Amino acid sequence: MKKNMKFIALLLIVSVVLSACTLKTKDESGESTTPSNNANVDQTPVDIELLGMSANEDDLNIVRDQLAKNGFNVKLNIQPDYGSFKTQEDAGNFDISLSSWTTVTGNPDYAVRSLFKTGGDYSILSDPEIDALIDEASTQTPEQYQDTYKRFEEALVFEKAYIAPLFNSIKSQAFNKEVLAADSVRISKSRSLPWEELEFTDTAKHGTDPLILQSTFPTLTSLDPIKGNDGSINIINTNLYVRLVNLTDDDKITSDGSLSLNHAIAEGNTEYYFILRDDINFAKVTDKKAVDSGERVGADDVIFSLNRAKDRNSVPDHRTYTLHEHINTVETVTDLAALDALKVSGSDETVRAALEKGLDVKISELVADKKDANNKEGKYQVVKLTTTTPFPQVLNYLAHQSAGIVSQKQVQAINTYDVENFDVNKDIPYGDQNTVTEGSQYNNTLYTSGPYILSHKNDYEATFYKNPAYMKGTEHEPRIENIKIKFIQDADSTLSALRSGEIHLFYGVSESKFDVVKGDSKLELQSIPSNAVSYLLFNTSNRPVAESADLRKAVLYSINQEEFITFYSGNKYKATSTLSPIVNTGLELKADAAKAKEHLNAYKASK
Amino acid sequence: MVNIASTQQEINFRLKSAPEYREASLAGLLSLLVAAILLLNAIWVEGNSFQPLLLIIGGSYLFFAVIQLVIWFFIRRNLLHHGHITPAVRRSGYLLLPAILVANVFVVIAGSQLIKRSKSTAYTLAVYTLLSTILTFAVSALNTLKPYVADYFLIGMALLLICAIFQLVSLLLLAKYKQEDFLPRWMYVVAAILIATAATGNVFALFLGIMLIAKIRNQGYTSGTRFGEIFEKLARSMTSMLGLLFVSFLVTLAITSMLTFDSSLAIDNNYSAILQQPSAMYPLGTDNFGRDLFSRIIMGARISLLVGVLTTVIPLIIGGLLGAISGYYGKHTDNIIMRALDILYAIPGILLAIAIIAAFGAGIFNLIIALSIGSIPTYARIMRANVLQVSSLEYVQAASAIGSSDRLILFRHILPNTVAPMIVQSTLTIGTAVISTSSLSFLGLGVEPHIPEWGNILKLGSAYLETHPYTAIYPGLAIILLVLAFNFLGDGLRDALDPKLN
Repeated sequence: MKKNMKFIALLLIVSVVLSACTLKTKDESGESTTPSNNANVDQTPVDIELLGMSANEDDLNIVRDQLAKNGFNVKLNIQPDYGSFKTQEDAGNFDISLSSWTTVTGNPDYAVRSLFKTGGDYSILSDPEIDALIDEASTQTPEQYQDTYKRFEEALVFEKAYIAPLFNSIKSQAFNKEVLAADSVRISKSRSLPWEELEFTDTAKHGTDPLILQSTFPTLTSLDPIKGNDGSINIINTNLYVRLVNLTDDDKITSDGSLSLNHAIAEGNTEYYFILRDDINFAKVTDKKAVDSGERVGADDVIFSLNRAKDRNSVPDHRTYTLHEHINTVETVTDLAALDALKVSGSDETVRAALEKGLDVKISELVADKKDANNKEGKYQVVKLTTTTPFPQVLNYLAHQSAGIVSQKQVQAINTYDVENFDVNKDIPYGDQNTVTEGSQYNNTLYTSGPYILSHKNDYEATFYKNPAYMKGTEHEPRIENIKIKFIQDADSTLSALRSGEIHLFYGVSESKFDVVKGDSKLELQSIPSNAVSYLLFNTSNRPVAESADLRKAVLYSINQEEFITFYSGNKYKATSTLSPIVNTGLELKADAAKAKEHLNAYKASK
Repeated sequence: MVNIASTQQEINFRLKSAPEYREASLAGLLSLLVAAILLLNAIWVEGNSFQPLLLIIGGSYLFFAVIQLVIWFFIRRNLLHHGHITPAVRRSGYLLLPAILVANVFVVIAGSQLIKRSKSTAYTLAVYTLLSTILTFAVSALNTLKPYVADYFLIGMALLLICAIFQLVSLLLLAKYKQEDFLPRWMYVVAAILIATAATGNVFALFLGIMLIAKIRNQGYTSGTRFGEIFEKLARSMTSMLGLLFVSFLVTLAITSMLTFDSSLAIDNNYSAILQQPSAMYPLGTDNFGRDLFSRIIMGARISLLVGVLTTVIPLIIGGLLGAISGYYGKHTDNIIMRALDILYAIPGILLAIAIIAAFGAGIFNLIIALSIGSIPTYARIMRANVLQVSSLEYVQAASAIGSSDRLILFRHILPNTVAPMIVQSTLTIGTAVISTSSLSFLGLGVEPHIPEWGNILKLGSAYLETHPYTAIYPGLAIILLVLAFNFLGDGLRDALDPKLN
């Protein structure tokens, strides 16, 4: 027994000693993150508080990791939803906040104005240099503003480090290709999915089967286009109301599929002309079915809609007036000669020629009353819009869902309350979601100018019917009679619903699920670069990061965008600011541990 | 001597009388099950560098399972023919010991129990002590396959090895003594060293050391100590000992991992190793941030155990005290305390925890408080019922009659006789506490997401269930095993402490 024991002990000792010779410890491997001892420099990590939402937990972890590796001690403040996140942000309980922005109008001004200009809707900055650059660029043409925006980015990101950009996301959607015809499903950089173009693979089902989509939010902010600008209604309102212009898939302005047949910018960039089509009537709901109201969508509705869009006092809780603050006047043009006399901006063509381009019947007469319009006889309506300053990007804002055309007659008939004394408990505004929710309050008063109308909804789904009088006989006439939106909150459940055939299209598939979607033979995945940019916003008051540009730059140069791209297996792109998806300024943020350390030491020295 | 069993009743009696028979069948079946899982994995998972190794381990499990079942058959025949196990069959137990090389603890334990005809509880505990240390050593040794090891790795491993050697020596020494033998006084030294090795977290070493000291001090004065008695009963149940073995193994790992595991592998992101399949370098694969799941799960044991134990101990003390006061004093005191606790009892525990965390913020400290408060009433009720029962006994009345103070009666005479059900209850609720911790982390209400905690790891893994299932399977398995281990232990303790079964 004793011999046995000695032998075992010897064997163990020998094996351990042998293996110890070949092992490398962390210090020896050089992987150690503890900085080399430098007597002059304080090595204590700098505390920094990072605020974010639990939905962005992955991004927060990557930022935390990068900051921790560059001498920061990161304290995470993770909030469960946007509401509590916003509360924390407004209260200033952060050093850096993980923010994101999507430029849904596709124009650069929207990407910077409300975020970084003094007094902007979402701005916590106040810097005259930044303000001046934003204003300067807004009046310029694309060729001119590229340089202005480059100077803007240099100031915002590199000189003053007000933000630290992380990445530019892609937009993705997956659909069941056994149900939906693949070439009818569009994915666009900014605009929402146009429902009217969707087709079933089996066209015989258009009139019988519903198309089932998904949304996360069962509570719709408002079905009045100017009263909401969020995820719950953007896609819905885009398909309920037609606009003067649309965006193409790559964010160019087009009249295709919009209320206008053509549009033109007159010289000087302050006058904009739109020639209207006569084949759209408002739809209304009777007995939960969509019917033609018999009322045509015309110039008076356009004027009414845009005037209320720009006027912050037109409705209580106006959410979108800042988008339309450049609109000066909107009026009907009846004098054809005026169009002949004007030249198109940057061209010798007359505005009339530009508006007549491609029309089967040229303009013979401009009419004031929409009932008199008849395109086949050459009787058209033309709307003229002027801006307060030369501002060509106004067209992008007109393509936004908040510029959707509502019926003057109907809205005025419903909104009889006094805006100043509006009482939420008594007054029912046009587009109130309760009026379309099943139950005692149901009283659908919608008049929609778009391809579809919302008939009714509950907490589980919303039912839409096609507008029977929407561009009939054209390629824009809606194909599918009935569309339903199911409300499913959780992304994983939504994907399961898509795979089981419960829904037909899932908008916004997360990058980590791409493999699952690609592995399912009946699904098709579409993705396109989008205008969504994630960035770190620095606090501008009461925190060390507000005072010290060195500290902000230490954070800035700690950020390694390559790692984000690797993490998302190449499904993210580099970004320099919220402008990056729209304007190529040629600037790029490169991670630089040496610079980060230098700035961090400078900050410590200044303390 | 041939003494063939004739009636079915006698057959049953003979088979039941030998624990070796039961242990052999349990060990054989468990090894067969593990072998089946390992082999199926080795065959099904494609393009996996781990496959041949898995095949070898699975094969060896199958090999030992077969030997074990053959031995089981001989034991059965022995019992039916002779009524006892023959020395030849007992010696075959040595064949099973090499199974330690593939970590087949079931077979090793069954083998060690078979070898000796008359076993002392100390011997059984010593076997488990050694097994626990060897398992920890083996699991920590997997770190040598990584590109680098923690700075204190060698020191940690050397300490574990020294512990293992001491424990082996004490096992061999204890093997000489039978249950009823007197232990010599120099055994104090062995006991002291064993208790010292318990600093690694080896609870078996601690219990064995305490039991030895108690036994030496007792030396024939009484039939046995209470502590020894409980362990004697507990040691008879292989499932509860396996449960305790897993707990001891995890505690040891959690403590020694401070030396032997490198935390940066578990916390720092490594984008060049995202979602790697299990391999020699990453035994359980990596997660979507390239962190080693093996290191994460091992380090996660610290938090899971700490929170699990603390959220049991805190309500045990508070609830126990409130229950004791309420049960002893009765009347208004009882009414006020119990009705207040009834209100607390009416709120679902997990909802209360969510509300507390939502109000005070996430973090380990708040997590422990939140989970503790909800289980106070349960303990108070159990304690109150026990105190009510015990305080009506004659000896308490006698103490009261000779004028002992309330405090003395309560703490000296009543409480020591009411702890048994509390211990059982607490072992059973540790499992629930571990699940609650993980659930809250899973909901994003527990510890920060990058901290390795089993619920956190499972949450990340659940997103990859379809494409990279191992990211969710391993942390899930860890939670299941820990809860199962505590439940088995609790069941065993209940049987050992139950006065009706004494």
